[in-house]
Amino acid sequence: MRNIWLIAKREYTERVHTKGFIIATVLIPTLMGGGIFGMETLTSHSKSASHIAIVASQMQPAADLKQDLEAGKDTKMMVDVVAPAPGVTATLDKQIDSKTLDGYLVIHQSSPSQQATFDFTPRSSADAATSNAIKDSLHNVLDREYLAQHGATASEIETFMQPVTVNIIGKGGRPGNSKASFLVAYVLFFLMYMVVLMYGMNVARSIIEEKTSRVFEVLLATIKPEELLAGKILGVGAVGLTQVAIWMVAAALFAARAGAMSGISVSPVQAIFFIIYFGLGYTLYSSVAAALGAMTNSEQELQQLNMFLMMPLFFCMLMLVPVINAPNSMLSRIVSQIPFCGPLLMNLRISISMPQPWEIGLSIALILVTMLAILWVSSRIYRVGILMYGKKPNLPEIMRWLKYS
Amino acid sequence: MPIVELQNIRKVYDTKVAVEGLSLTIEPGTMFGLLGPNGSGKTSSIRMMIGMTVPDSGSVQLFNKPFARTLLDKVGYLPEERGLYKKMKVLDQLIFLGQLHGLGESTARSRSLAWCERMEITEAIGKKTEELSKGMQQKIQFIAALLHEPDLIIMDEPFSGLDPVNATLLMDTLVALRAEGKAILFSTHRMDQVEKLCDAIALISRGHLLLSGSMREIKSQYPRNRLQVVFTGDDSFLSHPGIVEAKNYSGIAEIKLHTEADAQLVLANAISRGTVINRFEVIEPTLEEIFIENVRASFGDAEAGGRVDA
Repeated sequence: MRNIWLIAKREYTERVHTKGFIIATVLIPTLMGGGIFGMETLTSHSKSASHIAIVASQMQPAADLKQDLEAGKDTKMMVDVVAPAPGVTATLDKQIDSKTLDGYLVIHQSSPSQQATFDFTPRSSADAATSNAIKDSLHNVLDREYLAQHGATASEIETFMQPVTVNIIGKGGRPGNSKASFLVAYVLFFLMYMVVLMYGMNVARSIIEEKTSRVFEVLLATIKPEELLAGKILGVGAVGLTQVAIWMVAAALFAARAGAMSGISVSPVQAIFFIIYFGLGYTLYSSVAAALGAMTNSEQELQQLNMFLMMPLFFCMLMLVPVINAPNSMLSRIVSQIPFCGPLLMNLRISISMPQPWEIGLSIALILVTMLAILWVSSRIYRVGILMYGKKPNLPEIMRWLKYS
Repeated sequence: MPIVELQNIRKVYDTKVAVEGLSLTIEPGTMFGLLGPNGSGKTSSIRMMIGMTVPDSGSVQLFNKPFARTLLDKVGYLPEERGLYKKMKVLDQLIFLGQLHGLGESTARSRSLAWCERMEITEAIGKKTEELSKGMQQKIQFIAALLHEPDLIIMDEPFSGLDPVNATLLMDTLVALRAEGKAILFSTHRMDQVEKLCDAIALISRGHLLLSGSMREIKSQYPRNRLQVVFTGDDSFLSHPGIVEAKNYSGIAEIKLHTEADAQLVLANAISRGTVINRFEVIEPTLEEIFIENVRASFGDAEAGGRVDA
């Protein structure tokens, strides 16, 4: 135990004192916070500002549409209304080619009472924002027109078209903010993702470093490889926890000052589960990383193998949206029980909507079992691998290592 | 009571036999040289001695007890290649390694400082390892192996990369430790160092033990049948019947004799003929010659050329 403690302590103090640690501690939340708030501001303030033309034979809906698009709630477009004439679409096509026009809408309607059809030709078919804006505006304009035709007064129309607001109220009547809690879930997910990956790789790197500098030879002359491995995982993990703790304290201080208005808060339950799942996830991934590190001789060789570490994490990323959209669906329940995904996805579910206690218990148990199995395999690969220099072992060789006593 | 006793140990890696039927004994207060060409199994044998790997068969005894990890607190090991944390400060590094060997922090610190002074590297104490020269790093490694005052000191190529001044400093330190009754095992390719320092040697090649025993014993197995004579005057003594072959390089003669006993007869004969003898030396076979001869034989002469690294 003393040796494990000594190894962990060295690993911890050396790492915490590096510039890299300080930079990562400051930079990651800055970048992440900046990124999220930046995106938030950009999406909420950007209005579609395309320049389009409307080709219509009946002037009434076209003029309303023009007004709605030019001075609407979400749009600030430039709209030209053109009367249909032979060859007008060819002229507009040319304008699109010369990039002075972003698209044109043709309204086919022979008389005011007839149902109209709409053809939109965008410059880029990927410009979903413009076509969505036009679609929304058309809906709006046509509704108003229909109501006006059926004798509704202007104020009646206004009331009718008022958007519906649903207030999100937390349990016990506390005002909630579903956007903010999604934000917290996202942040916790990416934080977990980054910290698990970063510190898992750090374990592998640290093993390679000791291997290339041959410190192993000295260390193994006094202590057992298992102690070395345990000390290393503990030490590096403690560094990760320290970093997360610094971030959380900083976030709490920030929330106490400025967070009241944003409504963003991490509840103690979320924090506790985050730490539990971080511990589990980190240990699981770092024991895989330890085996990878022991098998390879250099960072370059490690790069080739680190897909084993990345792939499950990448899978979790793919599952992020389905789980956020339906945290209690069958798919979410199943994927969050996969041991390699549990730390990220179960924790995500916990921060969105608390799953059944048995689900949490089962996922922790599954992760623990997998973790022990992997540690057993890793420590064997590690014990033999660290003394092997030179060529990278192939699979049959690794299988043989497992049998060495 | 032998410090190290290997009995018939054998280690096979996959298809390659690293060590086969090796037995050797190291007594306290001796300096033991483990010799052999590259890839002969020296490092594998050392690793089994300190439990880094386990022999497939045979037994390892340290301090007269079957191998146990607790015994390693009395063993100091200097690996062939420098194994130090590059970014760590020298003193922190020494304290850490000392603690791993079971020392308390304050003891580790005071001993580290004392040793740094003894090894003349006090100025390096506050530096990071990567800032130091190779020779300095070697000295730090050397100190790390000795901090816990081990009774058995195992050194793989301890003098490689050191200038003569520092090599002598290390040798003198090892000699002083031997005088304190510690057993020292070192492996090297430098036969002159072995001849100067070692009391006993073991020569292994391709995992097999070729020779072992005290330096005297081994040398005495090889005839001292060569002479070098520096003379002036009559060279007719070179036709003495005891001489098998003689080469005369104008006043310096290299002579091969039938038996060791003929040496004195040749000398008497030369003096009686009135030849002036300036120097007369019975040449011992050097360890290097013994080494090459044995290793060649083990490989089979044909393939010896490139593989022998003396």
